[in-house]
Amino acid sequence: MPFLITLLILRLDFAQDLRITGSNRAEYWLFVDSRLDTADYKDHITEKLKLALDYKELTLRGVFFFWDPSLRTVGKLSYVDYSAQYKKDPVNILYGRYYATFGRGLCLNQFLDEDFNNDNSLYGLKAELSGFKSQLTLLAGKPRNIFFEELRYTVKNDTADKIRGVNLETKVLNFDNPWGFNTNIGGRYVRIHKQTDLTPKAYTELFGGNINLKLGPWENYFEYGRHWGTIPVVGGRLKGDGYLFTTGLSLPGFGISLQYVDYKDLGFGGAEYRYNEPPTPIKSGISVNRGIDEIGYGLSIVASPFDFLSLEIENNKVSTHDPDLSKFGEILYLMDKMGGVLEQSAKAITHPTELSEVSFGVDHIIKQKIELPVQKKTETKPYLELQYDFGAFFVEAGLEQTMVMSDTSKYTDRAASISVGKPERFVLTVRAEKRDRVPEWLIPKLGEETFWPMLELSLDLTTRHNLRLRVGGEKGGLVCSGGVCRFEEPFRGVKAVLTSIF
Amino acid sequence: MKKIAKFKMRNSQLEILIIGALLLFVCAPLYAQEKELPTAPDFTLQDVDGNTICLDSLLKKGPVFMSFWALWCKMCIKELDALKPFYDEFDSLGLQMLAISQDKARAVPKVKPFALSHKWKYIVVLDPDNILREFYNVQAMPTSFIINQDKKIVFVHQGYKPGDEEIIVEKVRCLVGKNCKGKCHE
Repeated sequence: MPFLITLLILRLDFAQDLRITGSNRAEYWLFVDSRLDTADYKDHITEKLKLALDYKELTLRGVFFFWDPSLRTVGKLSYVDYSAQYKKDPVNILYGRYYATFGRGLCLNQFLDEDFNNDNSLYGLKAELSGFKSQLTLLAGKPRNIFFEELRYTVKNDTADKIRGVNLETKVLNFDNPWGFNTNIGGRYVRIHKQTDLTPKAYTELFGGNINLKLGPWENYFEYGRHWGTIPVVGGRLKGDGYLFTTGLSLPGFGISLQYVDYKDLGFGGAEYRYNEPPTPIKSGISVNRGIDEIGYGLSIVASPFDFLSLEIENNKVSTHDPDLSKFGEILYLMDKMGGVLEQSAKAITHPTELSEVSFGVDHIIKQKIELPVQKKTETKPYLELQYDFGAFFVEAGLEQTMVMSDTSKYTDRAASISVGKPERFVLTVRAEKRDRVPEWLIPKLGEETFWPMLELSLDLTTRHNLRLRVGGEKGGLVCSGGVCRFEEPFRGVKAVLTSIF
Repeated sequence: MKKIAKFKMRNSQLEILIIGALLLFVCAPLYAQEKELPTAPDFTLQDVDGNTICLDSLLKKGPVFMSFWALWCKMCIKELDALKPFYDEFDSLGLQMLAISQDKARAVPKVKPFALSHKWKYIVVLDPDNILREFYNVQAMPTSFIINQDKKIVFVHQGYKPGDEEIIVEKVRCLVGKNCKGKCHE
């Protein structure tokens, strides 16, 4: 409220130089779930309003969030975040709520992923200084991780831990040359003053560096991270490290990227949160244990040999280490005693005519010790999507079949959908999904439902306002982002989402 | 059939109504002046080739179109593919076209190979910390903006459906002085 009053006063006094922008997302759910409490119907409202005020080099930002469920067992969540920023080259200073990633996240990655409801932020001070082809970042803050799972928002950690960090990225070694060769280097140090350390004199520290080498279309990136922490429960010094290497070739019509990761005691924090986020090579975002004990690779090939054809192939694997194997074997293989994920996918997108698109492909994933109590789970999903543009309107149709095999059982989900839409107006989608049988181990997680019909209308009220109405069922399941996976509860009811930008 | 419980106005809902009303009160003067368009926030980011991209430098060459996209966003890729045939025409008219990747750090290595394999000629900018997304208050993907050389946001478009590219093309042609049917800005 004071923020809005400030806006009003400033708006009246400095009208000529002020710029006020914002966005809003309002979401209302009305649903049935007998497992949550005894009431027949539940509802919840989620509201997130963002406002920004720019006055010359100053920017004030506010985020007003509240989530108000009717569930008797859960309290509501509301917060007001703000930040004040002064930005004038070469200086950028921010106080308030912010996000920060050093390098590719081996040492620090406090990020916002709104698309997957994952909000890992810092509250404090961040300063950036640019010059001499370099950028220096200094920060100090307290972390807060908010997460949406099982139909509720939870604050994973709202600690008094203090994070302090410095990061330097420089291009001083870059120079003009005919070969397109250039290099960037970076270095960083992060110190965490943990409230819960058994040995408070032993700080948790992370430090490391990266080098990026480019030669024309060929690009290589190497990052190293070192972790000095405290051994849980017994105390004393814990030392770990991690390596990340990526190489990629980018040519018109063809791209390939290869990634190698190897982490041992690099991840740290409590059972439910981390302040760093070593990247997982798995496209769907699954991590085994987020940098504590992981090794793997990722291979991605994208090609458009003809204008009417595009091909995508992925082969990614991450697992725990296995001392019985050679390093090469650890990287490549997913043995039975390892926890890990092997993900393979192939997709083709074709345009038989100028107005049509046909996509087909198959996703195959093996998860070991990821979705306990199941030790091993294999999913194979072939799919087909068709689209035809009639000009005044378009039609899309899709078919998919997911065959799931676990230690003791197997089942198949089949889904079909059809959409009709008019550009700049609406899309109407009808979707139905059916499961042939429900194994025992799935019931506690996702219930006994076997059929999920769904009707969705997406309506463009204007180019800045979109209303989405959804009626029906969603089967729920594992959703992963940034190495964090959560189970989305099955849903049966109505969802209405209004997004606005102004 | 069980009856739905009566909807009760909770305190928090009342709060949001008050906030909304105040917001309208605060922002109304901005929209009362029909001719006043919002100014685009400045930004400085890296593209996939490591070049520094800043809005002011781009606007010296011409107006700017930018679309927020990600590797996992199917409709974002469809939008950028649909606009591909117009790239050369727009380039000759001085329009700078940006594709702002919202992919997180772990997916950054895949962005450039993907963009080139799709034969995109756009300037592909990396925004793994969502800095630009926050600056421009992007709520849904894709979201596209057209910024004129006076640094005003003349057009915003949320989402993409096949055929939506027509309105974007129309707005761009209008902005660079070609014949157009309607208003050049919203």
